[in-house]
Amino acid sequence: MVLSRRAVLSAGAALPLLRATRARAASPPEVLTFGLSSYPPNLHPWINAGTAAGTVVLMHHRGLVSYAPDGTIQGEVAEHWESDGHTGWVFHLRPALFHNGAAVDSAAVKWSFEQIAAPNSTAYMRAQFQGIERIETPDAKTMRVIMKQPTATFPDWLAPFYASIVVPGTTARGKLPVGCGPFVLKSYERGVSVTGSAFPKYYKPGLPKLKEIRFIAYPDENLRVAALQAGNVDLIEYVPWQSMTAIEANPKLKMQSTFGPFMYLTFNARSGPFKDPRVRQAVAFAVKREDIVKSAFYGRGAPLRGVPIPKGTPFYDAKLADFWTYDPARAKKLLAEAGFPSGFSATLLSTAQYGMHKITAEVVQQDLAAIGITVRLNLPDWATRVALGNRGQYEFAVMGSAAESNDPDGLTPLLDGRLSASYERSYDLVVPGLHRLLAEGRAEFNAAKRKAIYDKVQELVLKDTPIAGLCWRSQAYAMQKMVEGFQNLPGALTFYSGYTLEDTSLA
Amino acid sequence: MLWLARRIGISICLVWIVASIVFLAIRLIPGNPAELLLSQGGVAPDPRAVTELKRELGLDRPLWTQYWASMDDLLHGNLGNSLEDGTPVMSEVLFRLPRTLELIFAAGLFAALVGVPAGTLAANRQGGLFDRFAGWLAGLALAVPVFVTGTLLILLFAVNLQWMPAGGYVPFLQNPLQHLVLLAMPALTIGAGLAAAVFRMTRSAVLDVARRDHVRAARAKGLSPFRVLRRHVLRNAMLPVVTVFGLQLGALLGGTVLVEYVFNWPGLSSLLVEAVNARDYTEVQGIVLVISVLFVALNLLIDLIYAALDPRVRLQ
Amino acid sequence: MRRFPWLAAMAVCVIALTAVLAPVLLLASPVRIDIAHRLGGASAAHPLGRDELGRDELSRLIWGARSSLTVAFGASLLAGVIGIGFGVLGGFFRGVVELLTVRTMDIVLCFPPLLLALLVVTVLGPGIGTLIPVLALLFLPGFTRVAYAGVLATRALDYVEAVRVLGVHPTRIMLRTILPNIGGPLFVQFSLAVAAGVILESGLSFLGLGVVPPTPSWGLMIGAARATMTQDPALLLWPCLALSGTVLSINALCDGLGERADPHGVVRWRRSGLLGALLPGLAPPAGAVLALADLTVAIETPSGTIHPVREVSLSVGAGETLALVGESGSGKTLTGLALLGVLPDAARVTTGAAWLEGREILRLDPAARRTLTGSRLAMIFQDPTSSLNPLHRVGAQIVEAIRAHQRIGRRAACIRALSLLRKVGIADPEQRLDAFPHELSGGMRQRVMIAIAIANEPRLIVADEPTTALDVTIQAQILDLLATLQRTSGLAMIFITHSLPVVAEIAERVAVMYAGEIVEEGAVAEVFAEPRHPYTSALLASAPDEGGSPPRPIPGTIPQPHALPKGCAFTPRCPRVLAACEATHPPLLAIAAGHRSRCIRATEA
Repeated sequence: MVLSRRAVLSAGAALPLLRATRARAASPPEVLTFGLSSYPPNLHPWINAGTAAGTVVLMHHRGLVSYAPDGTIQGEVAEHWESDGHTGWVFHLRPALFHNGAAVDSAAVKWSFEQIAAPNSTAYMRAQFQGIERIETPDAKTMRVIMKQPTATFPDWLAPFYASIVVPGTTARGKLPVGCGPFVLKSYERGVSVTGSAFPKYYKPGLPKLKEIRFIAYPDENLRVAALQAGNVDLIEYVPWQSMTAIEANPKLKMQSTFGPFMYLTFNARSGPFKDPRVRQAVAFAVKREDIVKSAFYGRGAPLRGVPIPKGTPFYDAKLADFWTYDPARAKKLLAEAGFPSGFSATLLSTAQYGMHKITAEVVQQDLAAIGITVRLNLPDWATRVALGNRGQYEFAVMGSAAESNDPDGLTPLLDGRLSASYERSYDLVVPGLHRLLAEGRAEFNAAKRKAIYDKVQELVLKDTPIAGLCWRSQAYAMQKMVEGFQNLPGALTFYSGYTLEDTSLA
Repeated sequence: MLWLARRIGISICLVWIVASIVFLAIRLIPGNPAELLLSQGGVAPDPRAVTELKRELGLDRPLWTQYWASMDDLLHGNLGNSLEDGTPVMSEVLFRLPRTLELIFAAGLFAALVGVPAGTLAANRQGGLFDRFAGWLAGLALAVPVFVTGTLLILLFAVNLQWMPAGGYVPFLQNPLQHLVLLAMPALTIGAGLAAAVFRMTRSAVLDVARRDHVRAARAKGLSPFRVLRRHVLRNAMLPVVTVFGLQLGALLGGTVLVEYVFNWPGLSSLLVEAVNARDYTEVQGIVLVISVLFVALNLLIDLIYAALDPRVRLQ
Repeated sequence: MRRFPWLAAMAVCVIALTAVLAPVLLLASPVRIDIAHRLGGASAAHPLGRDELGRDELSRLIWGARSSLTVAFGASLLAGVIGIGFGVLGGFFRGVVELLTVRTMDIVLCFPPLLLALLVVTVLGPGIGTLIPVLALLFLPGFTRVAYAGVLATRALDYVEAVRVLGVHPTRIMLRTILPNIGGPLFVQFSLAVAAGVILESGLSFLGLGVVPPTPSWGLMIGAARATMTQDPALLLWPCLALSGTVLSINALCDGLGERADPHGVVRWRRSGLLGALLPGLAPPAGAVLALADLTVAIETPSGTIHPVREVSLSVGAGETLALVGESGSGKTLTGLALLGVLPDAARVTTGAAWLEGREILRLDPAARRTLTGSRLAMIFQDPTSSLNPLHRVGAQIVEAIRAHQRIGRRAACIRALSLLRKVGIADPEQRLDAFPHELSGGMRQRVMIAIAIANEPRLIVADEPTTALDVTIQAQILDLLATLQRTSGLAMIFITHSLPVVAEIAERVAVMYAGEIVEEGAVAEVFAEPRHPYTSALLASAPDEGGSPPRPIPGTIPQPHALPKGCAFTPRCPRVLAACEATHPPLLAIAAGHRSRCIRATEA
């Protein structure tokens, strides 16, 4: 399916009629207007193009499994699945159709997974999918994935949209892959809006509840909030932290927030002072994390003094979680040990495009000055910042992200320096033994043993500091009171909340 | 006629120079588009994939070959395809351009309707209460940046009074009223500064013309003050005003960035910002070129209008 | 001339000085973060409160001025220096140099300003180091053009030519003679560039493409304060005020300097006061087409009210020509304009009466007055080139005059215009009707002006030096034409001139004006043969004489209207001055029938 960039003018509408017309309508409105934080730079399901892109992708793509509102993994195209032998996983597909009418069968899944793993693929999961040994399709509704190593977390890999199933042959550059999700992409106008209409043959009967969803990009966060307050949109993502109090106090609105994403520092270990783990650790001990929470997030967050494993999950360990306390004396000592008794100067990469990144950088700059590190800020636009990060053209950098899942294996992309370079993780920074430990954790099916492995991972990370955690931040969706069924998924899964759009309705 | 031919010739030359500069500048930028394009997913791309994409995009050819191909395309009105998703840049530009033009037109209309009468009145009552008041107001309008005016307008009319939506865009055919309501705030924001400029230009031009001999001669014919003003002062005063006003409108062609951002108005300027942020070089090149061509064409148009208004120019 | 704009200049100085002195002002650190006190209100230590990171707002404002102004001044200065260089080189050497320096600016102008800045900053990365050259590039064409235009204008001046002929090196000519001459416009251009720089810097910083944090800048502060707009609106207010105040002051300074340089000065508009009621008992002299009594014109100037025309009385009968002579600045033209009711805004009639065919006209309301102006009395102006509107066709301008007073259709008016053109001796009147003024010769333009003046068959024509702007042969033709018209229609004429031979040729009577007053009046032959005022004598002596004796210019100049001598206005230049002349102001007295003089020694000779 090749869509015109905007099929019909009227469909690419950027605003609903004024609220008044809606109130007069007899039946409940069936069109939801969603205020995005930016226009998705790319609508391809396999790449990580940010939260806004993810939400739109989740509107029209589905994979084998997904996340339920409580964060557990639930079946999608795969009705049920089980591990098969040491390294195998078997998925049993349910009857489902792609938007073009073709049946979703095991061949399509196989093709999609192989494309993700292909050498010239730009897919986000390409590195992980190299772990797939082969894919067997005994029949159209059954598929067997054989891994090179035992992989307990394979379903966790598949739950985000990065492993969406698409119609074979629709992924050429400049085209949009055809999926099998609850909404069909009806039209889009680049930079402005995306409209999806309900897919009548969606494999879950009765869903989606809405007839249509209109995504409108509001890159200016003030305007996004203003549009919600003025009733021009029903639901917004990325509620700016400074507006949370006002939204909570507004009787017409409600807000759902979760501590999922977090801020951290990444380092370039190819050369320069940050090659030395003691210097990285000194930085981790020198930052007043409460200040970042208060300033960048208006108190809507919590200090992150260890490996980002959320409190309340089985892998959380209170002793390890509060390791990087604010201890400038210790930081200075570490610096001296590393051969920098009087400090040094370095450039901190961040971006001026997002206030939280900018303010975090400013606070870090001031705190590091106290232990003798003179920090210059480099604040280009986000695209440049990502490019510099990928290419390793920086000394250390402010980053904000979330784990891929609430399982500690979801931290792998942030910690494992053996993966190919990414702005999400430190550059060329390999912690000895970490890669192997993470693989062990992934391969282990026994919960207690896994906990022990990830305790070791945490100790290793705290010691070597491949990233320095700064703070958790609250991630919130805000909506009109009448929006029902939408659920901000817990913790790290918040960015996949788009899964619940199929259950969303307007009362 | 010779004058016109020469003028058009110069304009074409300028466009060609601009196109060449844009072509070169984009290729001199450090970093290569293929790599950036493949980094979109957040992972550094495989070098083989980069080489392959470079070949696919024709970026591995010698610079001269690329230049001739690019100029050839331009001659045929082809601005190339977006690196990001392969859409023809021309169609995208043509889709966004009318909105920016509409914004500029509305702002210009407001500025002309307010600025010219106010400037005339102020000049007629030079040093009077209105003159001083309007002068201060114009000074203020010129001194407050558009993003401040815009922010305040939204805070007041959309959030507090809830009289109009907080920015956005609705096609005219879909909802004419809503379209105009949404147009009002950004147009007013740009129009305020523009009106101030027009006011000042008109005022000084009217003052200048009003002291000329032919105005005195017209008064000595016993014409009514209104007729003297309209036919002998304003008509002549409009010559410099039209020129400067035209240039100001031209500057807005790429200068509505801030207003489009603050009001979420999806015009050509926001497309440019998006293209720059996404490093979509063919699109950046296309947009810059289209804006420059429009700008040059506008200059030509201003000259033509000037010639139409002033019979003396036709002789040269 | 207007006063120097002290207020604006002081404001600009204070802002600039504060920015320069920021390091020594004992301010709190503008970058010192204090999260515990974020958004803290005003206190003694922090008079404007604290920002979203607990930094001192006042200090950030002042340091912000420093970065904003550094960018604005830096860019303007850079653009100024290069632009002046380009403009001067291009204007002085022309040819290829001009192409390379001035014409290339057209290319820069092809890029809308903000667009260019946005592109370059995105590519090169934000920061003051990028901003200054980018903005300089934007300002460059402006400076180049101003300098170029200035050089072209100055270069043609005699003294520059003279220095060139003397063989002075071109560089020295440029530095010594041209630059000081184009300083004024360049300064204005510079101020405009600084104001634009402040605005552009704030816009780019607002978009995150300008100054790099934590360095404060007004644009950054506004951008950041938008986030906390609802919690702490003052944080948005202060940088906006600072920004707007600065731009406003700079613009006001520019305007002030511009108006100061404007030779016309500023006239405060006020409602024109009506003339007091006519004194009872004053009646028009019988028989005169026009009688003017005690006309005084006042002009409001910044340095007080002046009276460039004082107590002028005249009368002129049907078919008669009265010449009004005097040097420039003597008040002749103002007298004429006052009669027509077309004085400039700044001037008004304060006393006097004028009877046109027995009807007092100075006290008529403007609408009634207009029915006479252009119909019963008309005026022919000195410079036909500037007195015709260049944008309208000649025919339209005549038709307009006809239809202002006659209720006839456009076609009929056209036919009438044709006959008028024929009457004033224009060949091919059908074609001339459709011509624009610039397509006619000077003599023809004056004929058109005369056609306009006689369009409504006036009783009186005021001709204000109608031949001065024309060459000699044309002068004679125009004078002939006027004489013929007067003979055929018996109209009265006031002929304003400074040329005594013309007076002798055309006028029956002459009134000599000096410094706003009539100093002598009488029949032309009598006055010329036997002048009874030293100024008249001096005027006659200064005229070129066919008989041989070389003209003797009058020493000295006319006194300024606001510095008139207490006694006779001519005393400073008079060769026969007495003490009594300086003591009291002499009245205009009749010394013979139809001959009056303002000299106390008029009867001595």
